[in-house]
Amino acid sequence: MARKSDNTETPAIDHEAIRELAKLLDETGLTEIAVERAGVSIRVARHSGGAMGRTRATEPVVTQPSTVTAAPVSIDPAQHPGVVASPMVGTAYLASEPGARPFVEVGASVKTGEPLMIIEAMKTMNQIPAPRPGTVIQILVEDGQPVEYGQPLMIIE
Amino acid sequence: MFDKILIANRGEIALRVLRACKELGIATVAVHSTADDDAMHVRLADESVCIGPPPAKDSYLNIPALLAACEITGADAVHPGYGFLSENARFAEILAEHNVHFIGPRPEHIRLMGDKIAAKRAAKELGIPVVPGSEGGLGTDSQAERLAREVGYPLMLKAAAGGGGRGMRVVTEPAELAGALAAARAEAKLAFGDDTLYLEKYLKRPRHIEIQVLGDGKGGAIHLGERDCSLQRRHQKVWEEGPSPALNTDARDQIGETVANAMRAINYFGVGTVEFLYEDGKFYFIEMNTRIQVEHPVTEMITDIDLILEQIRVAAGGGLLLNQEQVKFHGHAIECRINAENPVSFRPSPGKIVHYHPPGGLGVRVDSAVYNGYTIPPYYDSLVGKLIVRGKTRSECLMRLKRALDEFVVDGIETTLPLFRALAREKDVIDGQYHIHWLEDFLARGGLPE
Repeated sequence: MARKSDNTETPAIDHEAIRELAKLLDETGLTEIAVERAGVSIRVARHSGGAMGRTRATEPVVTQPSTVTAAPVSIDPAQHPGVVASPMVGTAYLASEPGARPFVEVGASVKTGEPLMIIEAMKTMNQIPAPRPGTVIQILVEDGQPVEYGQPLMIIE
Repeated sequence: MFDKILIANRGEIALRVLRACKELGIATVAVHSTADDDAMHVRLADESVCIGPPPAKDSYLNIPALLAACEITGADAVHPGYGFLSENARFAEILAEHNVHFIGPRPEHIRLMGDKIAAKRAAKELGIPVVPGSEGGLGTDSQAERLAREVGYPLMLKAAAGGGGRGMRVVTEPAELAGALAAARAEAKLAFGDDTLYLEKYLKRPRHIEIQVLGDGKGGAIHLGERDCSLQRRHQKVWEEGPSPALNTDARDQIGETVANAMRAINYFGVGTVEFLYEDGKFYFIEMNTRIQVEHPVTEMITDIDLILEQIRVAAGGGLLLNQEQVKFHGHAIECRINAENPVSFRPSPGKIVHYHPPGGLGVRVDSAVYNGYTIPPYYDSLVGKLIVRGKTRSECLMRLKRALDEFVVDGIETTLPLFRALAREKDVIDGQYHIHWLEDFLARGGLPE
């Protein structure tokens, strides 16, 4: 995915911490490390793939607490059987319009076909339906985040 | 100059474009299908966006996905490479509507040259010699028959919406014509969605000689000499070289100027190649390609001009760096297109390259996106890479080519390297005495032992 980090009103980015974590990731062979410190959480994850074992971009995600990741995850989200992958390229929005309640939140129970989020491309809004019934256990993208084809959006178990 | 270029292609040409962008200090966005997650240019690009699953129609030809990728990355220009959407005028227009530059000619010229009948008419009006044949599309069968008698047999039926070697059929005698017309129309309808045909005199043993051009869009244009691409199999170029063994300086200057003048007259913008058949000292226009071509490195090696860089510069409004007098040709270059195919049956051989060693040394260039451990996906063309060799003379070039081919190792898949090793040792090739049927004749008589 686009390697620019996508943050808006977050505090100054602790580049050192991110570098440290990325190094730790490589050294230990883990797929994900999440750290919370002084109200700021940092999650560094490795995407799967690479014929030579070389990873594509490690994606530093700096967030304010309470929004995104809830449950601690130790497996690569892309491999999770309940993953909902993006069917298109665009910008993900978690609510139908700015300020509105998100379509779903972590813990919500969804039926097949229920809208999970919107992906916008060229001013066209595309609702992303739940492919199966279940519980939303993880939301993997932020509101307004650019997404690519195949990118893990949510995990529904 | 552009800030960020999205490379709407894959494989070796995507890597080629990326290299030029890096040298110009332009940020790069690599878009790719899931099958190309590990492509070399994807790894080297500043940003990458997966745009779809493997099939080209869902990824590299997927205009909405490409536009969305431009949108989310903020790319201000798109380089379409060759093939895919590089000659799709609609794509160029859509990008313009979204304020993204298309690095290529204006849509009207893409359309003009994409319609092979209109292109031929335009060429004729611009003073470019053409192959004798029908003035436009063929009407009824009886009209076609009359025309065929005038033009004479053998003749070639061609699809107006075809090109790139596809949609062509030879007719050797009058009795075959009716059947051939029906079959050609049906094939054209299926392959191109348009069954319009035109008819041309079939030249018996011509060479394929093409002229590289570059225009600034404001009436300035230069030619960058010729490439001889006569060695073809099923209308696909296999070996290209420049200068052509068949042309002398006068012939080159003359056809070059004719073509450059035509480009000036239409205010052509960007790179292009005007293709000819050449027989008995005469040139016959067949088509123009309004994009960068696979074999562009041949011209780069003998003119020392980076064509992709020039293409980008001109597209950004930079104008031409050189005038015609400043374009100089030094030495000789040969390019071999190495495919992942069995060298005798040409059956495709996708798979994992377990050992890769490209040749090196003075005057040796390999344009390839493969690497040790890379798996060639089965969804796209079978090009492994291009080996381009340069020498001060054609003899030196051939010696160097032989040496480079012998050094080239690609293990794990079958490649056409053995074919090139044989060609580099063939008398007719060494003498430069070949034509567009030569290679198929060579293969038919078992030129390449199993």
